[in-house]
Amino acid sequence: MVETIVLVGNPNVGKSVIFGRLTGTYAVVSNYPGTTVDISRGAMTLAGRRYEVIDTPGTDALLPSSEDEQVTRDVIMRVRPAAVIQVADAKNLRRALLLTFELIECGVPLILALNMHDEAVSRGIRIDAPRLENILGVPVIATIGITGEGIPELKKRLPHARHGNFNATYPPEIERLLTETAAGFGAPAPCARAAAAMLVSGDRTVFRYVAGALPDGFIGRLERKVADFVRPPRLLIFETKNMYAAQITGEVITSQGTPAESRLARLGALCMRPFPGYLIVLAVLFIMYEFVGVFAAGTLVNLLENHLFGRYVIPLAGTLINGAIPSEIVREFLMGPYGLVSMALTYAAAIVLPVVAAFFLFFGLLEDSGYLPRLSVMLDRLFRTFGLNGKAVLPMVLGLGCGTMAALGTRILETRKERLLALLLLSLTIPCSAQLGIILGLLAGLSWQAGLIWFVSITGSLVAVGAAANRVLPGHRSPFILEIPPLRRPDFGNVVTKVKMRLVWYVREAVPLFALGTAILFFSDKLHMLSVLERVARPVVVSAMGLPAQVTPTFILGFLRRDYGAAGLFVMAQDGLLDARQVVVSAVAITLFIPCVAQCFVVIREQGMKIAIALFAFVIIYAIGYSSLLNMVLKTFHPLILAPLGRG
Amino acid sequence: MKTKGMIDIEEALGILRGFIEKNKNTRTLVEETLSKNVAGGILSELVNGGFAVLGTDTVTLTPKGEEIARDVTRRHRLAERLLADVIELPEGEIDPAACEFEHILSPEVTDAICTLLGHPRMCPHGSRIPPGPCCGQAQASTASIVTSLEQVEAGEKVRVAYIVTSEHPHLHKLLSIGLVPGTEITLHQKAPSYIIKAGETQIALDREVAAHIYVRRR
Repeated sequence: MVETIVLVGNPNVGKSVIFGRLTGTYAVVSNYPGTTVDISRGAMTLAGRRYEVIDTPGTDALLPSSEDEQVTRDVIMRVRPAAVIQVADAKNLRRALLLTFELIECGVPLILALNMHDEAVSRGIRIDAPRLENILGVPVIATIGITGEGIPELKKRLPHARHGNFNATYPPEIERLLTETAAGFGAPAPCARAAAAMLVSGDRTVFRYVAGALPDGFIGRLERKVADFVRPPRLLIFETKNMYAAQITGEVITSQGTPAESRLARLGALCMRPFPGYLIVLAVLFIMYEFVGVFAAGTLVNLLENHLFGRYVIPLAGTLINGAIPSEIVREFLMGPYGLVSMALTYAAAIVLPVVAAFFLFFGLLEDSGYLPRLSVMLDRLFRTFGLNGKAVLPMVLGLGCGTMAALGTRILETRKERLLALLLLSLTIPCSAQLGIILGLLAGLSWQAGLIWFVSITGSLVAVGAAANRVLPGHRSPFILEIPPLRRPDFGNVVTKVKMRLVWYVREAVPLFALGTAILFFSDKLHMLSVLERVARPVVVSAMGLPAQVTPTFILGFLRRDYGAAGLFVMAQDGLLDARQVVVSAVAITLFIPCVAQCFVVIREQGMKIAIALFAFVIIYAIGYSSLLNMVLKTFHPLILAPLGRG
Repeated sequence: MKTKGMIDIEEALGILRGFIEKNKNTRTLVEETLSKNVAGGILSELVNGGFAVLGTDTVTLTPKGEEIARDVTRRHRLAERLLADVIELPEGEIDPAACEFEHILSPEVTDAICTLLGHPRMCPHGSRIPPGPCCGQAQASTASIVTSLEQVEAGEKVRVAYIVTSEHPHLHKLLSIGLVPGTEITLHQKAPSYIIKAGETQIALDREVAAHIYVRRR
């Protein structure tokens, strides 16, 4: 059996970089607290033995307060790893120690890595590692994840990971309570003392690990005992640990004053002041628009689609296929109007990929520099109007890249209500980068008023639906508490690896759907299903929304991939099938319309079938209703609003 | 000066109210505790005086009893806060001292203490302090020694006195980040979010969270 090594640590301590150093393959490395939602696994060979290495989400305590932390505890208590590597921020030893105590209490073989050692030294913090090792009874190694310093030493001493001999002694009444609780488990449970501490702290999920061993009425008796305490045991336990942590920190750390604030630190602070913070937000958004919307979706797509693909790839593929394949139908399947090469490959490689790659590159830079949490600070108040807090900035901005990835990212939000609200707004109003790029291109062919109508429609829907849903949905917004990491110069290699990982994920997830979508369209067209569908949807599409019947397949495509559908509209507009009003209405409709199938799957997985169906039904009805209304308004005031007509 | 009888009644009403808060106001338990801690037969005195009513198995307060009980509780818990946060009495001595205090504080002095402490909402043990007339006006007095972070000016250096976690389970997160009583923090800014720095950790908070963090000016 392959033995397991688990990486544990507070958020934002460089755990994922250490993981990459150990396994050779990177996880998504991030500067934003709590991004590693899914655990990453990798393999490592040490002295001829193979180990599985698991990277867990950042956690402050084994007593979980979020789903992320739940995952971390589950890995530790269920997997019973051969060794746990705790990665600590050397600048913040006291906070790390609180987690160390819990890990020691759990009885896992432990090794402590004091990471970002260089940053601590530059701030005049020196840690006496041998002394700390002596106190805790586990190996302590200073590391710098980014440069790899200390990693060989960490690997070398990994087999010496030990249980640790540090024991926190709680006040006598707590000790008694813990002993009684642990004794009540009936059978000896793994990490009995730790489990008892979690139980008396009010945690009920720890049962999973001691379940079956609990006699009847155990919880009731425990709750009565806990209620007899004047101050909650949870607090007493925490205070004891904190006292030990402060004591040990004082013993092993020598601080030599604080050096002058660096320029980056000053910039980091400025990013959070109203002035110039909001200007910086606007500048960042503008640069993103220029880079992703203008450069990637305009220049780059034009270059790839019209020149590379239009002049060389497609004609060449056409010649090859015509020469090699005798069957007419197969040829059409590959090169026809709904062809696998002519449509799916062109869309995927020439239109969507450059836009998404540009977005991920930009997002990666924002993430690695530590700007994203600062963006959260600036936008917290705005997000509050629709029941979310600044933390939701991360999934929402990520949604401008890929909605599916963003929907997965909603897990970092703390309450059920927040997760549901974020999923709803992501599904309804946030266009992904490829879709956004194409829509901007589509609208750029018209007047600026057209762009404004689209923008106001989408942001208006975001705020109105968000605020309304916030009132209707039960539950609470969690308080906004967010750790702000220092602003750093992004490590380019790190960003590139991240972009690469995200792109690989995206291509794997998107390209098969592109191919599937094209195949469905091809067969529907051959079986004359498209015309049937167009006829069925006619009353809504033609009468209410005022669009030509041919856009119906585009909306179906939009369900398979949002960007794919928008690209279809783009081609129709190029061919002169849509007038100005129709371009605006269809652009609004496809943005609001139901997200792609992959994102729908995530919504179902996160919220369950019932809620997901209600959410989709709302999105469809809202999209159709709003577009029809917009159509009516535009029809009436058409000459006024969309004055310079006929350019589309 | 209050009579011994009146002090006993106040004491008993305070205890009874605490039991009602915790939903432990069964008749047997109340009777046993009161006669042990206050005086034998005090429960029937409460009933005869129109302060309490006996149910089938429970004891509850009448409006008249509740009014006195609420005042006693407020005085007791404010006294606890004063003794814990300002006078910094060791933990074991807080409760007995507060029991003496609660009977001698006049309404004016009570409100003055409440203002001095920044209108706290919770006693050191996490029980709710009934708000008084001074809290309604919520006048942020500069004379407060302990005040909520909301009332601190940007740039000030303060120490965490306590965090009211009982209303918001999520606030336990502040503890695990390391924001525990005694921690020295600097408030960097208040808008658009509160930014505080504790050691090498920088934390952003919204105003509601800041209102739950009580700090002591140095």
